[in-house]
Amino acid sequence: MRLFLKILRLSFRRQLTYRTATLAGLVTNLFFGVLRASVLIALFNAQPSVNGLTVKGAVTFAGLTQGVIAYLSIFGWWDIMQSIEKGSIGADLLKPMNFFTYWLAQDIGRAAAQFVTRGLVLMIAFGFLFQITLPASPAQWLAFAFALILSGLVSFAWRFIINLAAFWSPNAIGFGRFAFSLTWIFSGFAMPLRLFPDWFQQFCAFTPFPAMINTVIEIFLGTLTPPETLQALLLQAAWFVGLSILSQFILKAGIRRLVIQGG
Amino acid sequence: MNAIIKVEHLSKTFEITQSQKGWSGALRGLIKPLKKKIAAVKEVSFELKPGELVGYLGPNGAGKSTTLKMLTGLLVPTSGVVQVNGLVPWRDRTKYVASIGAVFGQRTTLWWDLPVQESFDLIQYMYRIPDKRYRHNMDLFRDILGLDPFINTPVRSLSLGQRMRADLCAALLHDPKLLFLDEPTIGLDVVAKDKIRQFIKHVNEERKTTIILTTHDLQDVEKLCERVIIIDHGQLLFDGTLEALNNRFGGQRTLQVDFAETYPDVSIEGAGLISHEGLQATYQFDRDILSASDLISRLSNRYKISDLSVREPAIEDTIRRIYVDKLLEN
Repeated sequence: MRLFLKILRLSFRRQLTYRTATLAGLVTNLFFGVLRASVLIALFNAQPSVNGLTVKGAVTFAGLTQGVIAYLSIFGWWDIMQSIEKGSIGADLLKPMNFFTYWLAQDIGRAAAQFVTRGLVLMIAFGFLFQITLPASPAQWLAFAFALILSGLVSFAWRFIINLAAFWSPNAIGFGRFAFSLTWIFSGFAMPLRLFPDWFQQFCAFTPFPAMINTVIEIFLGTLTPPETLQALLLQAAWFVGLSILSQFILKAGIRRLVIQGG
Repeated sequence: MNAIIKVEHLSKTFEITQSQKGWSGALRGLIKPLKKKIAAVKEVSFELKPGELVGYLGPNGAGKSTTLKMLTGLLVPTSGVVQVNGLVPWRDRTKYVASIGAVFGQRTTLWWDLPVQESFDLIQYMYRIPDKRYRHNMDLFRDILGLDPFINTPVRSLSLGQRMRADLCAALLHDPKLLFLDEPTIGLDVVAKDKIRQFIKHVNEERKTTIILTTHDLQDVEKLCERVIIIDHGQLLFDGTLEALNNRFGGQRTLQVDFAETYPDVSIEGAGLISHEGLQATYQFDRDILSASDLISRLSNRYKISDLSVREPAIEDTIRRIYVDKLLEN
């Protein structure tokens, strides 16, 4: 555990050293956030609510989804793939540490730094620019905090599995792009799942994607009743555990195929 | 004593996909890729006793690194048995790697963007090295390897020689019983090479660490290893002492003679005359047929000699002959 925290801290600090990249990312996220919020306001066209979603809720949705882009690495995360391609995975496998936990610690450190520098800052900016909805009670804030942490874990387990594709193909980036693009649609990142037809929502419920973003949004906006909230959180935890276990089997098979390039 | 490393009929076959010519080839490749099997290591067997320092040699692509990667648990063998310290490296990987140290000269095992000292601190946590032990080793290695000038520099800014020294230190902080070194002196200057060699020798002698070393620098072998294992095309060609290697394949010694007077014919029985020019002549002779002193006395009985020198066959020549002339292949 000490080791886990140490790696987490180092990764957090490393992420904070990329100052220019952080600022550039923040500006981009904010720009598109304002754009998306404006489009949503126009689309609502003065209707008070659509499918139970108010204008204020829709704008908050735009802010939240833009805010978690960096935290959840929604546009792709290739660290393990690159380490397999470059062969630096060899050095990691020589360390007496579980490969999954090693990367989990690093990713939590990275995500924590980006949550602060790109998530929190963006939401505060959004609060100044627009009228947004906030959780109404401490219990809702707490539920939101849990949902956010669990979404990070589910997202990590999913990204971990996708990255393992590099064990099978020397050019797995294409597969990765496809896999990550699924996240945008089925997680409720592009549009709140509530606005999609029922059959689509039902389909999504069978995938881990809503556990990455939609749950966080619903809890933040207060659209779930307390029992529903608890159920959603448990479902997130179940997805994390399930995907993590699955990843171990894939990892084991992958290492058997490992060819360390060069040297 | 019991063997610390046991390798039996170890083989590793890689499958590579070949690209085919033209459009039709590319299409065919999509449906049924053309696979080619490459045997990197074939039926290699050997054992190592605790405390040995063995040179593992072979030309490029011989299968040295592949063997080492199997021994360190990075690659899973296609067939055969590897047992190190009573463990199967790839199966018990996390437990196993805690008991070994490894340096792959071509790449670092440290963290690219961390200062050297922080990398070491992280290693202390990873290997759960007790504070006292860690500080003791740290002080010692800082001293012998001269790490102080760059101990706070990020790993990515180190020179090759500095990086190699930092990597060696990192591999030994947890007192491994076994050390795997894959080309630890590659690309280093003479002074740096010498420093690394002294350190390796120190570790082997003082700490009784068992070491396997691959290298292309035969001076490493001459200065460090008593025993060598040679492989080529994935097959084991030789396993024995350096001396035995020299005796068997050392080829011929040479004797250079400066005569006091010119002689028209200086040939002598038992040795071949390679060159004869003016006052100087060079002979080649086989240690099994004729000793150096016999040859010299034969010569001095017949001619007046002003100076002479005997040259032993260089290990370079021996190894080159084994690689190029395929002396060991049946």
